[in-house]
Amino acid sequence: MLENIKKEFSTRTLVFIAIAIAINIVIGQLVFYLKLPIYLDSIGTVLVGALVGPWAGAVTGGLSNLLWGVVPPPLQNTFAVPFFYVAVVIGLLAGFFGKRGVFEKESPRWVSVLIGAIFFFSLTMFILAFINIDTSQGFAIFPSMKDLVSQYAIVFVLALAIGAAIGYFLLQNGGYVGLAGLVTGVVAAIISAPTAAVVFGGVTGGGTDLLVAAFRASGGNIWASVLAQGSVSDPFDKMLSFMVVLFILRALPARFKAR
Amino acid sequence: MNSLSIYVARESGLHKLNPLTKFVLSLCILLGGLAFSNALAGYVILFAIVTPLAMFGGVTKRMYQLVFNISWPLILSVFLIQSFFWGAGTPLFEIGPVSPKLEGVLFAFKSSGRILYVMANFILFSLTTRPDTLMISLKQAGLPSGLAYIIVSTLQLIPQYAAKANIILDAQRSRGLETQGNIVTRARALLPLVLPLVISSLLEVEERAIAIEARAFNSNRVETSILEIPDSQSQKTARAGMIIITILLIAGRFLWQLSS
Repeated sequence: MLENIKKEFSTRTLVFIAIAIAINIVIGQLVFYLKLPIYLDSIGTVLVGALVGPWAGAVTGGLSNLLWGVVPPPLQNTFAVPFFYVAVVIGLLAGFFGKRGVFEKESPRWVSVLIGAIFFFSLTMFILAFINIDTSQGFAIFPSMKDLVSQYAIVFVLALAIGAAIGYFLLQNGGYVGLAGLVTGVVAAIISAPTAAVVFGGVTGGGTDLLVAAFRASGGNIWASVLAQGSVSDPFDKMLSFMVVLFILRALPARFKAR
Repeated sequence: MNSLSIYVARESGLHKLNPLTKFVLSLCILLGGLAFSNALAGYVILFAIVTPLAMFGGVTKRMYQLVFNISWPLILSVFLIQSFFWGAGTPLFEIGPVSPKLEGVLFAFKSSGRILYVMANFILFSLTTRPDTLMISLKQAGLPSGLAYIIVSTLQLIPQYAAKANIILDAQRSRGLETQGNIVTRARALLPLVLPLVISSLLEVEERAIAIEARAFNSNRVETSILEIPDSQSQKTARAGMIIITILLIAGRFLWQLSS
Protein backbone atom coordinates (compact mmCIF):
# COMPACT_ATOMS: atom_id res chain seq x y z
CA MET A 1 0.00 0.00 0.00
CA LEU A 2 2.60 2.55 1.14
CA GLU A 3 4.87 1.46 -1.68
CA ASN A 4 2.11 2.08 -4.20
CA ILE A 5 1.46 5.54 -2.81
CA LYS A 6 5.16 6.40 -2.96
CA LYS A 7 5.38 5.19 -6.54
CA GLU A 8 2.59 7.56 -7.55
CA PHE A 9 4.53 10.64 -6.45
CA SER A 10 7.54 10.87 -8.76
CA THR A 11 9.04 14.24 -9.66
CA ARG A 12 7.00 14.23 -12.84
CA THR A 13 3.80 13.64 -10.88
CA LEU A 14 4.54 16.55 -8.57
CA VAL A 15 4.98 18.87 -11.56
CA PHE A 16 1.84 17.43 -13.13
CA ILE A 17 -0.15 18.03 -9.92
CA ALA A 18 0.97 21.67 -9.71
CA ILE A 19 -0.06 22.26 -13.33
CA ALA A 20 -3.38 20.45 -12.81
CA ILE A 21 -4.21 22.64 -9.80
CA ALA A 22 -3.53 25.77 -11.84
CA ILE A 23 -5.81 24.41 -14.59
CA ASN A 24 -8.58 23.69 -12.05
CA ILE A 25 -8.46 27.17 -10.62
CA VAL A 26 -8.20 29.09 -13.90
CA ILE A 27 -11.01 27.19 -15.64
CA GLY A 28 -13.13 27.06 -12.47
CA GLN A 29 -12.90 30.80 -12.01
CA LEU A 30 -13.77 31.39 -15.68
CA VAL A 31 -16.96 29.36 -15.29
CA PHE A 32 -17.74 31.05 -11.96
CA TYR A 33 -17.69 34.43 -13.70
CA LEU A 34 -19.78 33.20 -16.64
CA LYS A 35 -22.50 32.35 -14.06
CA LEU A 36 -23.14 28.98 -15.64
CA PRO A 37 -25.05 26.60 -13.36
CA ILE A 38 -22.01 24.25 -13.19
CA TYR A 39 -18.51 24.46 -11.69
CA LEU A 40 -16.08 22.68 -14.04
CA ASP A 41 -13.36 23.11 -11.45
CA SER A 42 -12.18 19.51 -11.39
CA ILE A 43 -10.85 18.90 -14.91
CA GLY A 44 -7.26 18.88 -13.62
CA THR A 45 -8.20 16.62 -10.71
CA VAL A 46 -9.88 14.07 -12.97
CA LEU A 47 -6.96 14.25 -15.39
CA VAL A 48 -4.40 13.46 -12.67
CA GLY A 49 -6.65 10.74 -11.27
CA ALA A 50 -7.03 9.16 -14.70
CA LEU A 51 -3.36 9.36 -15.73
CA VAL A 52 -1.57 8.80 -12.38
CA GLY A 53 -3.84 7.27 -9.77
CA PRO A 54 -6.26 7.86 -6.90
CA TRP A 55 -3.79 9.24 -4.33
CA ALA A 56 -2.33 11.81 -6.70
CA GLY A 57 -5.89 12.70 -7.73
CA ALA A 58 -6.91 13.19 -4.11
CA VAL A 59 -3.93 15.48 -3.41
CA THR A 60 -4.71 17.51 -6.54
CA GLY A 61 -8.34 17.95 -5.56
CA GLY A 62 -7.76 18.85 -1.94
CA LEU A 63 -4.95 21.31 -2.62
CA SER A 64 -6.89 22.94 -5.47
CA ASN A 65 -9.70 24.02 -3.22
CA LEU A 66 -7.42 25.03 -0.34
CA LEU A 67 -5.12 27.11 -2.59
CA TRP A 68 -8.10 28.72 -4.29
CA GLY A 69 -8.64 30.62 -1.05
CA VAL A 70 -5.10 32.04 -0.85
CA VAL A 71 -4.41 33.15 -4.43
CA PRO A 72 -4.91 36.91 -4.83
CA PRO A 73 -8.22 38.29 -6.13
CA PRO A 74 -9.61 38.32 -8.90
CA LEU A 75 -8.74 34.63 -9.01
CA GLN A 76 -9.52 34.09 -5.35
CA ASN A 77 -12.56 32.08 -4.36
CA THR A 78 -12.89 31.62 -0.61
CA PHE A 79 -16.05 29.56 -1.00
CA ALA A 80 -14.16 26.62 -2.45
CA VAL A 81 -12.06 26.16 0.71
CA PRO A 82 -14.57 24.35 2.96
CA PHE A 83 -15.38 21.98 0.09
CA PHE A 84 -11.84 20.63 -0.13
CA TYR A 85 -12.86 17.21 1.20
CA VAL A 86 -15.34 16.86 -1.69
CA ALA A 87 -12.52 17.50 -4.16
CA VAL A 88 -10.42 14.84 -2.39
CA VAL A 89 -13.18 12.29 -2.93
CA ILE A 90 -13.57 13.33 -6.59
CA GLY A 91 -9.84 12.76 -7.14
CA LEU A 92 -9.98 9.37 -5.42
CA LEU A 93 -12.97 8.28 -7.51
CA ALA A 94 -11.41 9.50 -10.77
CA GLY A 95 -8.26 7.54 -9.93
CA PHE A 96 -10.29 4.47 -9.10
CA PHE A 97 -12.16 4.67 -12.41
CA GLY A 98 -8.88 5.31 -14.23
CA LYS A 99 -7.33 2.18 -12.70
CA ARG A 100 -10.35 0.21 -13.93
CA GLY A 101 -9.58 1.36 -17.48
CA VAL A 102 -12.77 3.40 -17.85
CA PHE A 103 -10.97 5.99 -19.97
CA GLU A 104 -9.62 3.45 -22.45
CA LYS A 105 -12.67 1.30 -23.07
CA GLU A 106 -15.01 2.45 -25.81
CA SER A 107 -18.67 1.82 -25.19
CA PRO A 108 -21.15 0.94 -27.93
CA ARG A 109 -23.42 3.89 -28.70
CA TRP A 110 -26.55 2.15 -27.45
CA VAL A 111 -25.00 1.94 -23.97
CA SER A 112 -24.47 5.72 -24.04
CA VAL A 113 -28.07 6.21 -25.14
CA LEU A 114 -29.27 3.98 -22.30
CA ILE A 115 -27.15 5.79 -19.70
CA GLY A 116 -28.35 9.21 -20.90
CA ALA A 117 -32.00 8.17 -20.93
CA ILE A 118 -31.98 6.50 -17.50
CA PHE A 119 -30.16 9.41 -15.94
CA PHE A 120 -32.53 12.01 -17.36
CA PHE A 121 -35.51 9.93 -16.33
CA SER A 122 -34.36 9.74 -12.69
CA LEU A 123 -33.41 13.40 -12.65
CA THR A 124 -36.89 14.36 -13.88
CA MET A 125 -38.45 12.07 -11.30
CA PHE A 126 -36.37 13.70 -8.58
CA ILE A 127 -37.23 17.27 -9.59
CA LEU A 128 -40.93 16.54 -10.05
CA ALA A 129 -41.11 14.73 -6.72
CA PHE A 130 -39.51 17.76 -5.15
CA ILE A 131 -41.85 20.27 -6.79
CA ASN A 132 -44.87 18.23 -5.77
CA ILE A 133 -43.98 17.85 -2.09
CA ASP A 134 -47.11 18.12 0.00
CA THR A 135 -46.47 20.29 3.05
CA SER A 136 -50.11 21.01 3.91
CA GLN A 137 -50.03 18.79 7.01
CA GLY A 138 -46.98 20.45 8.48
CA PHE A 139 -44.49 17.81 7.39
CA ALA A 140 -43.23 16.89 3.94
CA ILE A 141 -44.92 14.06 2.06
CA PHE A 142 -43.29 13.01 -1.19
CA PRO A 143 -45.74 12.04 -3.96
CA SER A 144 -45.67 8.40 -5.11
CA MET A 145 -43.76 7.46 -8.23
CA LYS A 146 -46.85 6.06 -9.93
CA ASP A 147 -48.84 9.26 -9.51
CA LEU A 148 -46.00 11.28 -10.94
CA VAL A 149 -45.54 9.12 -14.00
CA SER A 150 -49.24 9.18 -14.87
CA GLN A 151 -49.56 12.88 -14.11
CA TYR A 152 -46.50 14.01 -16.10
CA ALA A 153 -46.36 11.30 -18.79
CA ILE A 154 -45.36 13.75 -21.52
CA VAL A 155 -42.58 15.26 -19.44
CA PHE A 156 -41.12 11.83 -18.77
CA VAL A 157 -41.25 10.84 -22.44
CA LEU A 158 -39.53 14.11 -23.27
CA ALA A 159 -36.89 13.48 -20.60
CA LEU A 160 -36.20 10.02 -22.01
CA ALA A 161 -35.85 11.47 -25.51
CA ILE A 162 -33.52 14.28 -24.40
CA GLY A 163 -31.47 11.84 -22.33
CA ALA A 164 -31.16 9.46 -25.26
CA ALA A 165 -30.15 12.32 -27.56
CA ILE A 166 -27.51 13.51 -25.10
CA GLY A 167 -26.24 9.96 -24.80
CA TYR A 168 -26.04 9.58 -28.58
CA PHE A 169 -24.55 12.94 -29.54
CA LEU A 170 -22.58 14.02 -26.47
CA LEU A 171 -21.37 10.83 -24.84
CA GLN A 172 -20.98 9.00 -28.20
CA ASN A 173 -18.63 6.09 -27.50
CA GLY A 174 -17.59 7.43 -24.11
CA GLY A 175 -20.58 5.95 -22.28
CA TYR A 176 -18.50 4.43 -19.49
CA VAL A 177 -16.71 7.72 -18.88
CA GLY A 178 -20.06 9.52 -18.78
CA LEU A 179 -21.38 7.01 -16.28
CA ALA A 180 -18.25 7.34 -14.11
CA GLY A 181 -18.77 11.12 -14.13
CA LEU A 182 -22.42 10.78 -13.16
CA VAL A 183 -21.60 8.45 -10.26
CA THR A 184 -18.88 10.83 -9.05
CA GLY A 185 -21.32 13.73 -9.33
CA VAL A 186 -23.99 12.00 -7.24
CA VAL A 187 -21.45 11.22 -4.52
CA ALA A 188 -20.17 14.82 -4.63
CA ALA A 189 -23.70 16.22 -4.35
CA ILE A 190 -24.47 14.12 -1.28
CA ILE A 191 -21.27 14.85 0.64
CA SER A 192 -21.12 18.57 -0.20
CA ALA A 193 -24.69 19.42 0.83
CA PRO A 194 -24.02 19.63 4.61
CA THR A 195 -21.20 22.15 4.12
CA ALA A 196 -23.16 24.21 1.62
CA ALA A 197 -26.14 24.41 3.98
CA VAL A 198 -24.28 24.96 7.26
CA VAL A 199 -21.45 27.27 6.23
CA PHE A 200 -23.03 29.32 3.45
CA GLY A 201 -26.75 28.97 3.99
CA GLY A 202 -26.90 27.41 0.54
CA VAL A 203 -25.62 30.42 -1.40
CA THR A 204 -22.17 30.58 -2.95
CA GLY A 205 -22.42 33.51 -5.35
CA GLY A 206 -22.11 31.37 -8.49
CA GLY A 207 -24.65 30.48 -11.16
CA THR A 208 -25.88 27.56 -9.06
CA ASP A 209 -27.61 29.99 -6.67
CA LEU A 210 -30.47 30.35 -9.13
CA LEU A 211 -31.23 26.64 -8.74
CA VAL A 212 -31.20 26.89 -4.95
CA ALA A 213 -33.62 29.82 -5.22
CA ALA A 214 -35.89 27.83 -7.51
CA PHE A 215 -36.03 24.92 -5.07
CA ARG A 216 -36.58 27.21 -2.09
CA ALA A 217 -39.46 28.79 -3.98
CA SER A 218 -41.10 25.41 -4.48
CA GLY A 219 -41.22 24.88 -0.74
CA GLY A 220 -38.04 23.04 0.24
CA ASN A 221 -36.10 23.92 3.34
CA ILE A 222 -32.42 24.90 3.09
CA TRP A 223 -31.09 21.36 3.41
CA ALA A 224 -33.42 19.89 0.84
CA SER A 225 -32.88 22.76 -1.61
CA VAL A 226 -29.12 22.54 -1.40
CA LEU A 227 -29.21 18.77 -1.87
CA ALA A 228 -31.61 19.16 -4.79
CA GLN A 229 -29.41 21.81 -6.40
CA GLY A 230 -26.37 19.58 -5.97
CA SER A 231 -28.18 16.61 -7.45
CA VAL A 232 -28.99 18.65 -10.54
CA SER A 233 -25.64 20.47 -10.95
CA ASP A 234 -23.07 17.95 -9.77
CA PRO A 235 -23.81 14.92 -11.98
CA PHE A 236 -23.93 17.16 -15.07
CA ASP A 237 -20.83 18.98 -14.01
CA LYS A 238 -18.79 15.86 -13.32
CA MET A 239 -20.07 14.14 -16.46
CA LEU A 240 -18.94 17.15 -18.47
CA SER A 241 -15.56 17.25 -16.69
CA PHE A 242 -14.99 13.54 -17.29
CA MET A 243 -15.95 13.96 -20.97
CA VAL A 244 -13.58 16.91 -21.37
CA VAL A 245 -10.82 14.78 -19.85
CA LEU A 246 -11.65 11.99 -22.31
CA PHE A 247 -11.29 14.45 -25.21
CA ILE A 248 -7.99 15.67 -23.77
CA LEU A 249 -6.67 12.12 -23.37
CA ARG A 250 -7.58 11.33 -26.97
CA ALA A 251 -5.83 14.48 -28.19
CA LEU A 252 -2.64 13.89 -26.18
CA PRO A 253 0.33 12.27 -27.90
CA ALA A 254 0.77 8.59 -26.94
CA ARG A 255 4.27 9.41 -25.68
CA PHE A 256 2.77 11.46 -22.83
CA LYS A 257 0.30 8.81 -21.74
CA ALA A 258 2.91 6.07 -21.73
CA ARG A 259 4.52 7.44 -18.56
CA MET B 1 6.28 37.05 -5.69
CA ASN B 2 4.94 40.61 -5.68
CA SER B 3 2.34 40.32 -8.38
CA LEU B 4 0.78 37.21 -6.91
CA SER B 5 0.36 38.26 -3.33
CA ILE B 6 -1.70 40.93 -1.63
CA TYR B 7 0.98 41.26 1.08
CA VAL B 8 1.43 44.81 2.42
CA ALA B 9 4.79 45.56 4.04
CA ARG B 10 4.47 47.30 7.43
CA GLU B 11 6.65 47.60 10.52
CA SER B 12 4.14 46.10 12.92
CA GLY B 13 4.15 43.52 15.68
CA LEU B 14 1.83 41.33 13.65
CA HIS B 15 4.18 41.39 10.67
CA LYS B 16 7.11 40.44 12.88
CA LEU B 17 5.43 37.34 14.27
CA ASN B 18 6.57 34.00 12.94
CA PRO B 19 4.41 33.10 9.88
CA LEU B 20 3.57 29.79 11.49
CA THR B 21 2.05 31.58 14.49
CA LYS B 22 -0.16 33.66 12.22
CA PHE B 23 -1.08 30.56 10.21
CA VAL B 24 -2.18 28.71 13.37
CA LEU B 25 -3.96 31.83 14.65
CA SER B 26 -6.06 32.29 11.52
CA LEU B 27 -6.85 28.57 11.31
CA CYS B 28 -7.99 28.63 14.95
CA ILE B 29 -10.16 31.72 14.39
CA LEU B 30 -11.73 30.05 11.36
CA LEU B 31 -12.49 26.71 13.03
CA GLY B 32 -13.23 28.06 16.49
CA GLY B 33 -15.68 30.59 15.03
CA LEU B 34 -17.68 27.89 13.28
CA ALA B 35 -18.27 26.27 16.69
CA PHE B 36 -20.62 29.12 17.67
CA SER B 37 -24.11 29.05 16.20
CA ASN B 38 -25.39 32.33 17.66
CA ALA B 39 -26.66 34.79 15.03
CA LEU B 40 -24.21 37.46 16.21
CA ALA B 41 -21.17 35.16 16.57
CA GLY B 42 -19.71 36.05 13.16
CA TYR B 43 -19.95 39.78 13.83
CA VAL B 44 -18.52 39.46 17.35
CA ILE B 45 -15.48 37.59 15.98
CA LEU B 46 -15.09 40.13 13.18
CA PHE B 47 -15.19 43.19 15.44
CA ALA B 48 -13.72 41.83 18.68
CA ILE B 49 -10.93 39.61 17.32
CA VAL B 50 -10.14 40.15 13.63
CA THR B 51 -10.47 43.96 13.56
CA PRO B 52 -8.19 44.60 16.61
CA LEU B 53 -5.64 42.25 15.06
CA ALA B 54 -5.84 44.21 11.80
CA MET B 55 -5.30 47.47 13.71
CA PHE B 56 -2.29 45.88 15.40
CA GLY B 57 -0.98 45.03 11.93
CA GLY B 58 -1.84 48.49 10.54
CA VAL B 59 -3.88 47.11 7.63
CA THR B 60 -7.47 47.70 8.81
CA LYS B 61 -8.46 49.97 5.92
CA ARG B 62 -6.98 47.73 3.23
CA MET B 63 -8.56 44.65 4.81
CA TYR B 64 -12.04 46.16 4.84
CA GLN B 65 -11.61 47.39 1.25
CA LEU B 66 -10.79 43.89 0.05
CA VAL B 67 -13.50 42.25 2.17
CA PHE B 68 -16.06 44.68 0.79
CA ASN B 69 -14.97 44.22 -2.84
CA ILE B 70 -15.17 40.46 -2.66
CA SER B 71 -18.22 39.98 -0.49
CA TRP B 72 -20.86 42.51 -1.54
CA PRO B 73 -22.27 40.53 -4.51
CA LEU B 74 -22.42 37.42 -2.38
CA ILE B 75 -24.08 39.08 0.59
CA LEU B 76 -26.60 40.76 -1.68
CA SER B 77 -27.44 37.40 -3.19
CA VAL B 78 -27.68 35.75 0.26
CA PHE B 79 -30.20 38.37 1.41
CA LEU B 80 -32.28 38.26 -1.78
CA ILE B 81 -32.48 34.48 -1.98
CA GLN B 82 -33.01 33.77 1.71
CA SER B 83 -35.61 36.47 2.27
CA PHE B 84 -37.71 36.11 -0.87
CA PHE B 85 -37.51 32.34 -1.24
CA TRP B 86 -37.90 31.36 2.41
CA GLY B 87 -40.78 28.82 2.35
CA ALA B 88 -43.24 29.54 5.16
CA GLY B 89 -42.64 32.47 7.52
CA THR B 90 -43.72 35.89 8.69
CA PRO B 91 -43.97 38.24 5.69
CA LEU B 92 -42.39 41.66 6.29
CA PHE B 93 -44.18 43.45 3.46
CA GLU B 94 -45.50 42.53 0.04
CA ILE B 95 -44.27 43.53 -3.41
CA GLY B 96 -46.78 42.15 -5.87
CA PRO B 97 -46.77 38.36 -5.60
CA VAL B 98 -43.61 38.07 -3.46
CA SER B 99 -42.77 39.05 0.08
CA PRO B 100 -39.52 38.85 2.07
CA LYS B 101 -39.81 36.71 5.20
CA LEU B 102 -38.53 37.78 8.60
CA GLU B 103 -36.98 34.37 9.33
CA GLY B 104 -35.17 34.50 6.01
CA VAL B 105 -33.71 37.93 6.71
CA LEU B 106 -32.49 36.77 10.13
CA PHE B 107 -30.89 33.70 8.58
CA ALA B 108 -29.22 35.81 5.89
CA PHE B 109 -27.93 38.14 8.63
CA LYS B 110 -26.34 35.17 10.41
CA SER B 111 -24.83 33.71 7.20
CA SER B 112 -23.42 37.11 6.24
CA GLY B 113 -21.70 37.39 9.61
CA ARG B 114 -20.00 34.07 9.02
CA ILE B 115 -19.01 34.96 5.46
CA LEU B 116 -17.58 38.31 6.58
CA TYR B 117 -15.45 36.98 9.42
CA VAL B 118 -14.16 34.01 7.39
CA MET B 119 -13.07 36.33 4.58
CA ALA B 120 -11.64 39.06 6.80
CA ASN B 121 -9.64 36.45 8.70
CA PHE B 122 -8.23 35.03 5.48
CA ILE B 123 -7.42 38.40 3.97
CA LEU B 124 -5.77 39.63 7.17
CA PHE B 125 -3.47 36.61 7.08
CA SER B 126 -2.51 37.22 3.44
CA LEU B 127 -1.99 40.93 4.05
CA THR B 128 0.49 40.42 6.87
CA THR B 129 2.38 37.29 5.78
CA ARG B 130 4.88 36.99 2.98
CA PRO B 131 4.10 33.75 1.10
CA ASP B 132 7.77 32.79 0.76
CA THR B 133 8.48 33.11 4.49
CA LEU B 134 5.39 31.02 5.25
CA MET B 135 6.64 28.29 2.91
CA ILE B 136 10.10 28.27 4.51
CA SER B 137 8.73 28.04 8.02
CA LEU B 138 6.27 25.32 7.04
CA LYS B 139 9.16 23.37 5.54
CA GLN B 140 11.19 23.83 8.72
CA ALA B 141 8.20 22.59 10.71
CA GLY B 142 8.29 19.34 8.73
CA LEU B 143 6.16 19.91 5.61
CA PRO B 144 7.38 17.46 2.91
CA SER B 145 9.37 19.30 0.24
CA GLY B 146 7.24 17.77 -2.54
CA LEU B 147 4.12 19.35 -1.08
CA ALA B 148 5.92 22.67 -0.62
CA TYR B 149 6.99 22.54 -4.27
CA ILE B 150 3.40 21.95 -5.43
CA ILE B 151 2.08 24.89 -3.41
CA VAL B 152 4.78 27.38 -4.45
CA SER B 153 4.80 26.47 -8.12
CA THR B 154 0.99 26.47 -8.35
CA LEU B 155 0.89 29.99 -6.97
CA GLN B 156 3.38 31.03 -9.64
CA LEU B 157 1.60 29.18 -12.44
CA ILE B 158 -1.90 30.54 -11.87
CA PRO B 159 -1.32 34.12 -13.10
CA GLN B 160 0.63 32.72 -16.09
CA TYR B 161 -2.24 30.44 -17.00
CA ALA B 162 -4.82 33.16 -16.57
CA ALA B 163 -2.82 35.20 -19.11
CA LYS B 164 -2.53 32.17 -21.39
CA ALA B 165 -6.31 31.64 -21.20
CA ASN B 166 -6.84 35.22 -22.39
CA ILE B 167 -4.48 34.70 -25.33
CA ILE B 168 -6.36 31.55 -26.35
CA LEU B 169 -9.66 33.40 -26.01
CA ASP B 170 -8.45 36.15 -28.36
CA ALA B 171 -6.98 33.64 -30.81
CA GLN B 172 -10.15 31.57 -31.04
CA ARG B 173 -12.32 34.70 -31.34
CA SER B 174 -10.22 35.90 -34.24
CA ARG B 175 -10.95 32.54 -35.89
CA GLY B 176 -14.66 33.24 -35.50
CA LEU B 177 -15.53 31.49 -32.23
CA GLU B 178 -18.57 33.02 -30.54
CA THR B 179 -18.07 33.44 -26.80
CA GLN B 180 -21.03 35.66 -25.98
CA GLY B 181 -24.73 35.07 -26.26
CA ASN B 182 -27.10 32.50 -24.87
CA ILE B 183 -26.14 29.56 -22.72
CA VAL B 184 -25.86 27.12 -25.66
CA THR B 185 -23.44 29.41 -27.50
CA ARG B 186 -21.31 29.87 -24.41
CA ALA B 187 -21.33 26.14 -23.66
CA ARG B 188 -20.21 25.34 -27.22
CA ALA B 189 -17.30 27.74 -26.83
CA LEU B 190 -16.02 25.85 -23.81
CA LEU B 191 -14.21 22.98 -25.49
CA PRO B 192 -12.21 25.06 -28.04
CA LEU B 193 -11.06 27.23 -25.12
CA VAL B 194 -10.31 24.50 -22.61
CA LEU B 195 -8.53 21.95 -24.82
CA PRO B 196 -5.65 24.17 -26.07
CA LEU B 197 -5.04 25.48 -22.54
CA VAL B 198 -4.88 22.04 -20.97
CA ILE B 199 -2.91 20.31 -23.70
CA SER B 200 -0.28 23.02 -24.06
CA SER B 201 0.17 23.01 -20.26
CA LEU B 202 0.51 19.24 -20.09
CA LEU B 203 3.26 19.27 -22.66
CA GLU B 204 5.29 21.41 -20.23
CA VAL B 205 5.32 18.71 -17.56
CA GLU B 206 8.39 16.93 -18.93
CA GLU B 207 10.44 20.10 -19.33
CA ARG B 208 9.68 21.32 -15.83
CA ALA B 209 10.41 17.94 -14.25
CA ILE B 210 13.83 17.79 -15.92
CA ALA B 211 14.53 21.39 -14.94
CA ILE B 212 13.91 20.86 -11.22
CA GLU B 213 15.70 17.51 -11.14
CA ALA B 214 18.72 19.23 -12.65
CA ARG B 215 18.58 21.65 -9.68
CA ALA B 216 18.90 18.94 -7.03
CA PHE B 217 15.16 18.66 -6.32
CA ASN B 218 15.54 15.09 -5.09
CA SER B 219 18.47 15.81 -2.79
CA ASN B 220 18.04 14.61 0.79
CA ARG B 221 20.32 17.19 2.37
CA VAL B 222 18.89 19.78 4.76
CA GLU B 223 18.32 23.04 2.90
CA THR B 224 19.57 26.35 4.20
CA SER B 225 17.75 29.59 3.55
CA ILE B 226 18.96 33.11 3.04
CA LEU B 227 15.90 34.43 4.90
CA GLU B 228 16.14 34.34 8.69
CA ILE B 229 12.74 33.72 10.23
CA PRO B 230 12.51 34.77 13.87
CA ASP B 231 10.78 32.41 16.27
CA SER B 232 10.64 32.34 20.05
CA GLN B 233 9.71 29.98 22.85
CA SER B 234 6.72 32.17 23.80
CA GLN B 235 5.36 31.93 20.25
CA LYS B 236 5.72 28.15 20.33
CA THR B 237 3.75 28.04 23.58
CA ALA B 238 1.13 30.39 22.12
CA ARG B 239 0.68 28.15 19.09
CA ALA B 240 0.17 25.06 21.23
CA GLY B 241 -2.25 27.02 23.44
CA MET B 242 -4.35 28.21 20.49
CA ILE B 243 -4.60 24.70 19.08
CA ILE B 244 -5.71 23.30 22.45
CA ILE B 245 -8.33 26.05 22.95
CA THR B 246 -9.76 25.46 19.46
CA ILE B 247 -9.98 21.70 19.99
CA LEU B 248 -11.73 22.28 23.34
CA LEU B 249 -14.19 24.71 21.69
CA ILE B 250 -15.10 22.26 18.95
CA ALA B 251 -15.32 19.33 21.37
CA GLY B 252 -17.50 21.43 23.68
CA ARG B 253 -19.75 22.30 20.81
CA PHE B 254 -20.21 18.63 19.88
CA LEU B 255 -20.94 17.61 23.48
CA TRP B 256 -23.44 20.45 23.82
CA GLN B 257 -25.10 19.38 20.57
CA LEU B 258 -25.34 15.79 21.80
CA SER B 259 -26.77 16.70 25.17
CA SER B 260 -29.51 18.98 23.82
